[in-house]
Amino acid sequence: MRPTNLIQSYVNSSPITQQYNTDKTVRDFDVRKELSNRTFIKPLPSNGKLIHNTIFDVPSEIAKDIKYDTNALRHAVKGKANDHELGRLNDVAMKTGGLAIAAYLFTKKQTPMTKLFEFIGLGSFFAAMDLWPKLMIQLPAWLIHGVNVRQKYEDSYGRKKMFYQDHQFIPWDLYSEKEINKIGDRLRVPKDIPNRREFIQEKMRKIALQNNTMWMLTAGFATPLMSALICNRLEQPIAKYLDKKNDQKASALLTNFSSEINKYNFTKETEELSTILSKNKDKPIIPKVINEIHANLASGMDNVVSQAIRKDLEKMLQYDKKYSITSQTLINVNKVLKEAFAPVGLSNDELKQIIPDERALSEAFASHNLLGGNFSDFSEHSKVLQRLLEEKITQFGTANPDNPKAAKLDFMLTKFLHSAEHGKNSKLIDVFKAKSAAVLTDENIKNIKSISTVLNKLKAEVSVLDKYAYIKVAQAPETGLANSWNTINNSFLKLMHFTPEEIKKGRYDSEIAGEVLRNRLEQITANKETYQEFVAGMQQLLASLQDKMQPLDMSQDESKNLYKTLVNSSFDEAAGNLGKYGMNHAIEALVGMDGIQKTSAKDLMYEFVIGRIDGVKSSLYKLLDAADVFYKISHNQGLENILTKDMPREVKEELVEGVKQILIGGHASDYSVKFWQKRNPNPNREDCSDIEVVNGKVKNKYHGKTPSSQLVEFANDRVYFEKLMKLMYGNDLHPDTLNKLTSTVIFDDFKNYREAVLKFLGGDEYFAKPNFLVDGQRHISSSEYKFRLAGCSLDGMFQNLFNNSFNNNKWFSVFGKLGAVLVGATLLSQFFIGRTKNPDRIMEDK
Amino acid sequence: MILPISNICGKNLSFKAKDGEENAIPQTKEMLLNNNFSTRTRIGLDKMTKAFTIYPAKGLKGSKNSNFYEFLTMGTVPYIVGSFMLISIFNSVNKSFAHFNRSFASKLGNKMALGVGLYALFKSVAKPLITTPVKWFTGIDTEIPYSKVYSSLQEEPDDYNNLTNIEYHKVGESVDFTRWDLLYGNRNKGEAPNFRYDKIAKKVGLGENLNDSDQEVKPIYKEVLIKTKLAKSFSSYMWAAVGVMLAFQKPWEDYFNVATLKFWKGKEFGHSLKVLSNSFKESVKELYKGGMSGSKVDKYSGKVMLGLAVLSTVLGVANAIHINNKPSKVTEADVMKNHKESVVN
Repeated sequence: MRPTNLIQSYVNSSPITQQYNTDKTVRDFDVRKELSNRTFIKPLPSNGKLIHNTIFDVPSEIAKDIKYDTNALRHAVKGKANDHELGRLNDVAMKTGGLAIAAYLFTKKQTPMTKLFEFIGLGSFFAAMDLWPKLMIQLPAWLIHGVNVRQKYEDSYGRKKMFYQDHQFIPWDLYSEKEINKIGDRLRVPKDIPNRREFIQEKMRKIALQNNTMWMLTAGFATPLMSALICNRLEQPIAKYLDKKNDQKASALLTNFSSEINKYNFTKETEELSTILSKNKDKPIIPKVINEIHANLASGMDNVVSQAIRKDLEKMLQYDKKYSITSQTLINVNKVLKEAFAPVGLSNDELKQIIPDERALSEAFASHNLLGGNFSDFSEHSKVLQRLLEEKITQFGTANPDNPKAAKLDFMLTKFLHSAEHGKNSKLIDVFKAKSAAVLTDENIKNIKSISTVLNKLKAEVSVLDKYAYIKVAQAPETGLANSWNTINNSFLKLMHFTPEEIKKGRYDSEIAGEVLRNRLEQITANKETYQEFVAGMQQLLASLQDKMQPLDMSQDESKNLYKTLVNSSFDEAAGNLGKYGMNHAIEALVGMDGIQKTSAKDLMYEFVIGRIDGVKSSLYKLLDAADVFYKISHNQGLENILTKDMPREVKEELVEGVKQILIGGHASDYSVKFWQKRNPNPNREDCSDIEVVNGKVKNKYHGKTPSSQLVEFANDRVYFEKLMKLMYGNDLHPDTLNKLTSTVIFDDFKNYREAVLKFLGGDEYFAKPNFLVDGQRHISSSEYKFRLAGCSLDGMFQNLFNNSFNNNKWFSVFGKLGAVLVGATLLSQFFIGRTKNPDRIMEDK
Repeated sequence: MILPISNICGKNLSFKAKDGEENAIPQTKEMLLNNNFSTRTRIGLDKMTKAFTIYPAKGLKGSKNSNFYEFLTMGTVPYIVGSFMLISIFNSVNKSFAHFNRSFASKLGNKMALGVGLYALFKSVAKPLITTPVKWFTGIDTEIPYSKVYSSLQEEPDDYNNLTNIEYHKVGESVDFTRWDLLYGNRNKGEAPNFRYDKIAKKVGLGENLNDSDQEVKPIYKEVLIKTKLAKSFSSYMWAAVGVMLAFQKPWEDYFNVATLKFWKGKEFGHSLKVLSNSFKESVKELYKGGMSGSKVDKYSGKVMLGLAVLSTVLGVANAIHINNKPSKVTEADVMKNHKESVVN
């Protein structure tokens, strides 16, 4: 075998040719001098060193590593890399693969948060892989034993390696005597033992080996767990950060409105339009042309506006769907007829006998005044043609009685007359409608181009405004409103102090969730302090929502609402410009007519925002209102005007129970059908005493005592409905509620909400119970508005909340505990590590 | 002690200790092993068993015999434990959730579990995609295993037994210290010393009947080894990534609905396998064509990722079989003929 030993190389070969080739040659090293005394030949002194990096060295270390990896890749591609370089490249490949996964899943996710978390997940995984051994193995071992078990060193070639990587080859010479002794002292190795350095080294080796084994055994549990826990804990701060960013992004859209609209490029559409127009210049306007022009102008606009533009366009182009018949038309008719009868297989002469030529057609149409002038309907022409053909076919049949083709002609005629596909013109009609009476003039082209410019600008403006409204309030994950809703909802659980047991119980079903919520509300409202704390908390949450949605408050003056200003100016400007071309239908569709803008496109831009915010607010105000009503019931205060002295106690109890049930579980449909409650038809009318409430719960004396079979629903007791509604929304707020809310930003809004519910839900007519109206007043409103006012049912809302909270907590409690156990066990193991028996001390000679 | 797997020199070697042979040491030197599925599986199982048992026990004790091989072998532990942990994180608490949430969470959990499985599967399958063509084109098998025998140090004074240990390495495991010596033929067996090198030399076009084919082949072997290792790293991780991407396609949900491992229920199990195959096909299609969204990114992201994986394999193999270090061809005129006089300047 060839000598591989370095010493032998020097001994056996010429020193010049075999000189050890290293990047870092030792200063003053003279190989001849070294070799002159062969007795003392020893390995070359090491150029390696221990690495003691601090956090400040990280950037330069990263830069060095990138340089090293780049060189490694270059070497490997050429087939010249070493083991260390290939090992590093394997790590690079692993990270590249991870990035590929994250990048792909990023493209699959819809929202910024889920997209971002693909990379956070990957990053946290690699971070966990790196941090776990550092924090849970290296640091405790260093603190307890004073040994750095993940010490790195740089070898003579500048390659970074783990000091304790291979326990059979530890480069102990890199530790000075002083360093080793210092560690030995820390390890409490007696100073007077033989071979102290060797003993310390062995102890260090053992500690490192045990710790590295612990690392291998725990990393599998720890890395995914730590990564998942990092992601779990990062969710909320990142959601908050992204929400803020989103909000800024939305605001920037409006503040930089003019530059934002310029980002929309309509060059392609404009060029397409120019092509259509130049191609059809001075030509009759056939349906295809007007369809193309309309499609170009109205693309991306809603159907109502699009149809209105179509009407205006037809009017402007004087396109009234009339066509003129020219000699070319007659030639084409003849051609179509010939094609239609070709399958019969007649000779040319025979065909001439059947198919009328141009002259015959002209005479036939002229005799019926169907030639000259413009026509929109060609049914008369068809009839004339049919008669003409029938006549000719009969003549042919008479002249050729034995010809089998004669019979076939009748069939072909019928087939020809019914040849059009559903929804399409027949070939004949296409021929008749080939020459439109209207012509695309230069002026038309000029106007259409101007209209296109106006509409394209509006489209760009609407796109920016839509984008803004979407980011702020759309019914989609991670919009501003959705984030607020989530934040506020999650705060309810803390604010109302639900216990884990309640959360666990309430998540299964809205009925159970309603029960849990009701008990909690009764508990909160039974005590003045807890109630006031709750109202103050609610007020803060609602105020934060109000604050966040303030830029979209449509009740504000235009000068304070940039969205409103820009919607208004964009639509009004477009309408003004379209007016120059007489586009009245389009103007009406865009901005309404005579100052009434309801149902116009502009109004929709407002309504979308108002509707979304109101829907969210109603659900939250419903909870606040429920708390106030529960408080009044808990303290039997402020109910006197409804629960009057002459009202039987049983009815009072029914009312209070009804109110509580509606407030907790009432859906929009319950309000629409004017509620449904089974009551006692024969209550005790003698007892008109007050209801009794203990700890927020009504102690029923009568209600619930009558067997269910004897209870009925009163389909004619409109007063009861009115009292229910007034008890919930009509009564004044309790003074304790008022005190907390009067001077707050939400007070007026909350008051308006209660009034609107009482008015529109109480005044909504239900055909089965037409008289069930608050104060006998009927108030008409759209079903959408009523739905928004009713908000979501509180029991459903809390069921979702309980569910989400349970799921998160369950996951965290299982894996959090597992993580804690793992950390505990890993840390504890340090106390069983590095135990060695000290050798006997050197005995002094006496 | 687990005995060596297979021995090229002795085909009839038993893998099981015979009666009374427990303490005998049947192998005293390093031996090349056959690079076949059976050997690889047995080596894999042997290493995995030791990674979970003997090596951690030695490591936790702080044994002076622990070495780098054991440490590297123990690297399997976090891979396997981590995979199960990752699956568990996304699945184990789902059963506590309410029905709707459970089904929703399970969809993701199942995909994650499948992703872990396909990551490992695709990563292992991708390696032969490099090494096999390299072997075809160059004759260099970069994966030849060998068993290494070494004696441990005594840890306790009365510890005389089981001091011999066997490790499983590969000839080309290290590019700096490739075990060229093991590739020489055994004269006792009637093998020519350079017969393996001769084969490679012929395959890479160095010619036949070379005087010292080993010296000619070694630089080429090393170059191919390095390039193959590079290609294997990048290609295997790219394919592993494709495995995860594949697992996240919608058609798998059909399989999750009927998946069962109860093989004794023939009909259900058969149906589950059928759906598995369909879901696989459909998922590959969806990965390639994109989902329902129809967006450009969705349409092309899968194609790009698949393309990168294929490209990493093709380029990797192409680079590995393109040999730079080939010595220039020696013509007749360049060779000194010993029956003629020559003058050397």
